[in-house]
Amino acid sequence: MIDINMTLVAQILNFVILVVLLRWLCYKPVVRMLKAREERIADSIQRADDDAAAAEAVLADYKAKLAQASAKAQEIQAKAEARAEEYRATKKAEAEHEIEQMKKAARAEIERDRERAADDIRRQVVALSMAAAGKIISKNLDSSENEKLVGDFVAKLDKAKIGDLSC
Amino acid sequence: MQGEIIHRGTEQILGMTFNMETLYMTWLAMAITLIIAYLAVRNLSLVPRGWQNAVEIVIEGLHGQMEGTMGKGGRFLAPFIISLFLFLLVSNYLGLIPTFASPTNDLNTTLGLALLVIVMVHVLGVYKKGSHYIGHFFQPTPIFVIINAIEEIAKPITLSFRLFGNILAGEILIIILLKLMPIWMPVPSVIWLAFSLFIGAVQAFIFTMLSMAYLANAVKEDEHE
Repeated sequence: MIDINMTLVAQILNFVILVVLLRWLCYKPVVRMLKAREERIADSIQRADDDAAAAEAVLADYKAKLAQASAKAQEIQAKAEARAEEYRATKKAEAEHEIEQMKKAARAEIERDRERAADDIRRQVVALSMAAAGKIISKNLDSSENEKLVGDFVAKLDKAKIGDLSC
Repeated sequence: MQGEIIHRGTEQILGMTFNMETLYMTWLAMAITLIIAYLAVRNLSLVPRGWQNAVEIVIEGLHGQMEGTMGKGGRFLAPFIISLFLFLLVSNYLGLIPTFASPTNDLNTTLGLALLVIVMVHVLGVYKKGSHYIGHFFQPTPIFVIINAIEEIAKPITLSFRLFGNILAGEILIIILLKLMPIWMPVPSVIWLAFSLFIGAVQAFIFTMLSMAYLANAVKEDEHE
């Protein structure tokens, strides 16, 4: 049952062949793949770290920009409000001025109308007085002297009485 | 030889004797090993799936083991160790299939592998450490060379006979159980087959681990001395 023969040498050869074949077929690809994966993982971790750092930088940048923008918006709003206030004030002043102007014009016109009316009344009073006086003393006095006389009278009257007339 | 349980199919080729049965079974085991290895690494991808996980676990585990026992210098022996384990496992299991025989039930196979390992140990030892390696056989006193020589001779013998004996006994018992038991009583055979599965794995593992330990002695860098 135990007989050593050339099979021993053949078996050694067989096994050496098997080792060579397995090494070439199985071991090499697996080791190569393991190495590739190791490198890939290290690379991925490195890249992830880089990305995180970059993201952080971008975030800080955006935050700064946001704060800047918000400050600027506030500034613009304040400016707009101030301008609106200013505009309203000028408009108000203008309107008041205009109203004042219109009041003044109205008063002046009223004054003029009153004067014209007073003049008219005075003239009519003179004419009526003249007519009345003329009829009364038609023969004694000439017309011009009469007119002067009555005019003086009316002038006195005018200052004393008519001036106070409310029209 | 008439009356033998295990037939080796001994033939004379060119004046040399070969156990043809053992050789055929060895080639079959080699083919199965290669097919398994090929199927396992056919679709390697960076993200492992299915069988690739198992193959990676085996290879990475063996790498770790080898680095632990042999140091960094033992890395180049990894394919040898892995091949040894795979081949022995397939060989041991081959004999469990009726009408097939394990290549390892022939002392020629196991002794051949053991001698290969031992020769590698000494060649690597001399190559890596030079006279230092030879010197350590004469430690602590020159008289110890006798004991050391016995130890070195014992290594391949124990290594080969352990595997050979286990596998041969297992196969003989499988055949005997099949002959002794009537066909409607398969329980003992099944139990023995299950036990043989265990034995086959354990013996392949032991042979591989011991080879690794012997090789480690030769390859490992000495911390002291």
